Amino acid sequence: MNVFYGLYSAMLVGATPILLAAIGGAFTYYAGIFNIAMEGMMLVGAFCAVLGSFFLHSWMLGIVSAIAGALVMAGIFVLFAVRLHTDEFLTGIALNLFAVGLTTFLLRDIFHVKGAFTDPGIVAVPSITLPLLGKIPVLGRLVSGYNAIIYVALLVTIASAFVVFRTSFGLRLRAAGYNAACLNSSGVQTPGIRVWSLVLCAVCCGLAGAYLSLGSVRLFAENMSAGRGWISLAAVILVSGNPWGISIISLLFGFFDGLTVFLQGSAIPTQFTAMIPYVATLVSLYFYSVQKRKTS
Amino acid sequence: MRKQTLSGILGVLAALMIGGLVLALQGFNPFSTYGALLQYSLFSASGLSAMLSRAVPLVLTGLSASIAFGSGLNNLGQPGQLVIGALSATLVGLFVPLPPLVLIPMCIAASMAGGLLWSGLAAVLRRAFAMDEFIVTLMLNFIADYFTLWAITYPLFDPTALSPMTRPVSTHAWLSEVAGINASVLYMVAATVLCWLLMSKGVSGYEWRMMGQNRLFARIGGCRVDAHYVRVMLVTGALAGLAGGLMVMGGPHRFVKGLGANYAWDGVMIAVVANNSIPGTFFYGLLFSMLQQGAIGMELVTAVPSEFIDVLQAIIVLVVVAGRVSLNLVFDHIATRKKLRESLQ
Amino acid sequence: MDGALIDLQHISKVFPPATVALSDVSVAFRFGEIHALVGENGAGKTTLMKVLYGLERRDRGDILLRGEHVDFRNPREAIAAGIGMVHQEILLIPEYTVWQNIVLGAEPVRGLCTLDTRTARERVARKIEEFQFNLDPDAPVSGISVAARQKVEILKLLYRDVSVLILDEPTAVLAPQEIGQLFSELEHLRDRGHTILFISHRLDEVLGLSDQVTVMRKGKVVATSPASALTKEELARQMVGRSVVFAAERSPAEPGEPVFVAQGLTVMGADGRETLDHVSFEVRSGEIVGVAGVEGNGQFELVNAIMGLSPVTAGSLSVQGFDLTHADILARRRYISFVPQDRGKMGASLPASILENAIMTHHILDRSFRRWGGLGLNYMRASALTSQIQTQFDVSMENGAAPFESLSGGNQQKVILGRELLLEAPLVLMDQPTRGLDVGSTEYVHRLLIDLRNQKKAVLLVSADLDEVFTVADRIIVMSRGQLVADLRTDETSREEVGYYMLGGKDASHAQADA
Repeated sequence: MNVFYGLYSAMLVGATPILLAAIGGAFTYYAGIFNIAMEGMMLVGAFCAVLGSFFLHSWMLGIVSAIAGALVMAGIFVLFAVRLHTDEFLTGIALNLFAVGLTTFLLRDIFHVKGAFTDPGIVAVPSITLPLLGKIPVLGRLVSGYNAIIYVALLVTIASAFVVFRTSFGLRLRAAGYNAACLNSSGVQTPGIRVWSLVLCAVCCGLAGAYLSLGSVRLFAENMSAGRGWISLAAVILVSGNPWGISIISLLFGFFDGLTVFLQGSAIPTQFTAMIPYVATLVSLYFYSVQKRKTS
Repeated sequence: MRKQTLSGILGVLAALMIGGLVLALQGFNPFSTYGALLQYSLFSASGLSAMLSRAVPLVLTGLSASIAFGSGLNNLGQPGQLVIGALSATLVGLFVPLPPLVLIPMCIAASMAGGLLWSGLAAVLRRAFAMDEFIVTLMLNFIADYFTLWAITYPLFDPTALSPMTRPVSTHAWLSEVAGINASVLYMVAATVLCWLLMSKGVSGYEWRMMGQNRLFARIGGCRVDAHYVRVMLVTGALAGLAGGLMVMGGPHRFVKGLGANYAWDGVMIAVVANNSIPGTFFYGLLFSMLQQGAIGMELVTAVPSEFIDVLQAIIVLVVVAGRVSLNLVFDHIATRKKLRESLQ
Repeated sequence: MDGALIDLQHISKVFPPATVALSDVSVAFRFGEIHALVGENGAGKTTLMKVLYGLERRDRGDILLRGEHVDFRNPREAIAAGIGMVHQEILLIPEYTVWQNIVLGAEPVRGLCTLDTRTARERVARKIEEFQFNLDPDAPVSGISVAARQKVEILKLLYRDVSVLILDEPTAVLAPQEIGQLFSELEHLRDRGHTILFISHRLDEVLGLSDQVTVMRKGKVVATSPASALTKEELARQMVGRSVVFAAERSPAEPGEPVFVAQGLTVMGADGRETLDHVSFEVRSGEIVGVAGVEGNGQFELVNAIMGLSPVTAGSLSVQGFDLTHADILARRRYISFVPQDRGKMGASLPASILENAIMTHHILDRSFRRWGGLGLNYMRASALTSQIQTQFDVSMENGAAPFESLSGGNQQKVILGRELLLEAPLVLMDQPTRGLDVGSTEYVHRLLIDLRNQKKAVLLVSADLDEVFTVADRIIVMSRGQLVADLRTDETSREEVGYYMLGGKDASHAQADA
């Protein structure tokens, strides 16, 4: 039974950052932006979270700084890709590189360390015990006692589905992706919608970053997003942005990620278990492509 | 072409100015910082030699990305192809007892074959199952990373070492220095010339470029685009693999942990700023290696952390790429005004 | 001008880098009239309307609405001022339903910006009823006909309470009966006080529907006159700038042996339906066969099947007796010179140089384009070919290294024609070769086609322009719903008969009676 709970919570831990980043990516996906900058936004978010939490002694302000950091990245994306019409793909690549460079540089410059920074002064995001539900046996352990950001991620997923499918903004957002010329001609400025989608994406990626550095652990390490932004991009593409689909895919990846942690003590070398999420991405891409080929 | 050079030079200068501004805001003197940067790369013999060696993986992965992007392929797998190439060369260097004259070409061939195999895997997945190479090559990077790490931690581990690395390869596989410059630089220059000939003078290069610009045009014109897809994938994988092989043979002479880590995205970045031109890739490769090599000296002399260069590189990429588009808009605007005046006369 | 609702004064617009789309255009539209804008492709009609609608920025000039200066920076501001535009290519979102498309950008909302679905549907339903448009608000747009989509577009504007409707070539995609219905709806709207600006190049319908007609040519206004004062010939003269010879001079065809033979050619679409349904015909040497039909009736699939872009599911095709049914594209290129309809999509690489565009296919079929044992491209030979095309096809260009996109549309087409015709293939396949070209270039292409025929080539011309087909073709085959419904000799048929077949008529006696 403990094995099950362990795997279950490891799955949630693994799924949360991917889920949040992918929800962010879904907004830009619907808006018709080829946004590959989630990785960079997440990394900057993770760094700013530590920065805010360490200097302002508050995990809340840590999360706020994470979102602010990711928003700055989104601002650069807007400046180059939306305003100056630079290629979105190139802007994304450059932003991801910028994020790695900037965080490594600031890690040296502000904290005077190389590789990773950890300090008792970093305030982590606490776990939440649900008042009534937490008392129920079995179910209580399944739903209560997890990191606050995990619950936020759940809310974000529900809210994103609501925004995309039930609001007037969602109608316009999806229209921007389907046919930007139509939206323009309908009297809505597509660039404006795209900017908003990037803002939402940055908020989600900032949360994802904060979870990485203040949620599961309490440190910032160079390049600690470790390709999660790319996996979340794959998740977005695989389900065409649908938030419910994204949550299923994220849980799946979370499961494999959890498996990685779980198999660490076993006879299989860690290097092979660490490959699992990436292999899982390839396998799901295989099923997606074969499926797509059949229907077309 | 001239526009391209102009926007490149202007972009790099603008980026250096932004970088200088960042330095000044942090309380550093930008002039002495840039001075130190140059001093330890271009203006000293050892710096220059180290800079050229450092340029080898940058230029080669850059060529790989340039040719791939220029042909319309999203091969982002240079990091993975590089480490697999390095591992292949290491394997041959470790276990094949032959004289240098045979062993060096064998190691080089092995490194290219390794990279080619890794990119070929992505090509096969695309051709057989229509899996997009964009995500596949990215995921294969991580897999290659962990795979090589495993290889140097367990089967090939050097028991005398403290961190994961292989034993040194046979000295017969070492690349010598020619007039203070590592022979790997010569291979890099040769590869650049060959790539330039291929892309600018060859039939394949012509067809690849047309395919990159307009796949349907190339296809209806009779070019065998599916076969070309596989070929470009293999060639670009081999180039990235060669980068890995030369790094092992010219540098530490063994596969050490984190060998490819510092070069992960540099090739893609260089191709992007060079707008997929072969000479451009060569020069930006040299520029970036100059920055990276100079960074070490810069950190010694001034208090600026060497990581500043990572930021500066990203600024260069953004500013040059955005500048290229903006400059075109400016040129267009001028031409538009002129035409407007003419038409109203 | 007295009583002008909209007054456009001295509008100029240059597309970067150097295409003059509008040059000092002044025109006024009066309240409650149907005003037609007439002109050839590229005359600037659409650009002028886009400038008015805020989709394109003008470089010079003023726009007055009810005597006040206005400056719409985007369609939202134009819509707010009561001006709406329906584009030539229908701009709707197929994934959305009719009501979603109509309310997009002007959605009724409840708390939390929630889309008020019920109110939206009710309002749309009320509008549909008010204007008697016979639409189902809940139908997905992907499933409704082209004519219905156009109604959705018009309703989308009426939902926003616009008083001025701009319609860009609304009849291009409609069948004649549908055109009649659209016209009565437009007249109904005018009588209710709407002003309608309507772009067209079909002279008959312009004279039938509109109150005022403005003719544009090469970015300038030629004249504005009441429709009642114009004849078709006068209108045509204004459009083209000189008297139009409706019949081209050509000698009678002397067809030889069959060069191209298609037998039972069938292509299956993605949905399992036959997009090309057992098409059989032949093209002989020394004749031009025109393929006529309303667009989207299998012409595209026919061209793709001939060129090997989509697999043939049944039947066969051959050129000079060589079976090409399942041959790869390169093998076909030895027998077929091909001028595709879309220069930027299939005909050329726009960012590449002129030379690089000029040598495509030649560099494979002609060994003299190779050097270094076949690996190198012989650039000397390549520039020789480029010069040959330049002189032989009268291309005005500076040098072969310039980007292809810097050429004008007519010169781009000449380079493509030159490249394809110098392949010296026995069959020439041209898909809409004059689309978007000015009159001079169009005439050039037509003369070239007739020359080719006189040189005993077999020419297959696919064209949506009936006038073009009648001008050059010796034989006309008509396509409807993927089938070949008629095979007629040009000198024995009429536009009316071909039109009858285009609309799906099959009964030959009926066609004759109609004609």
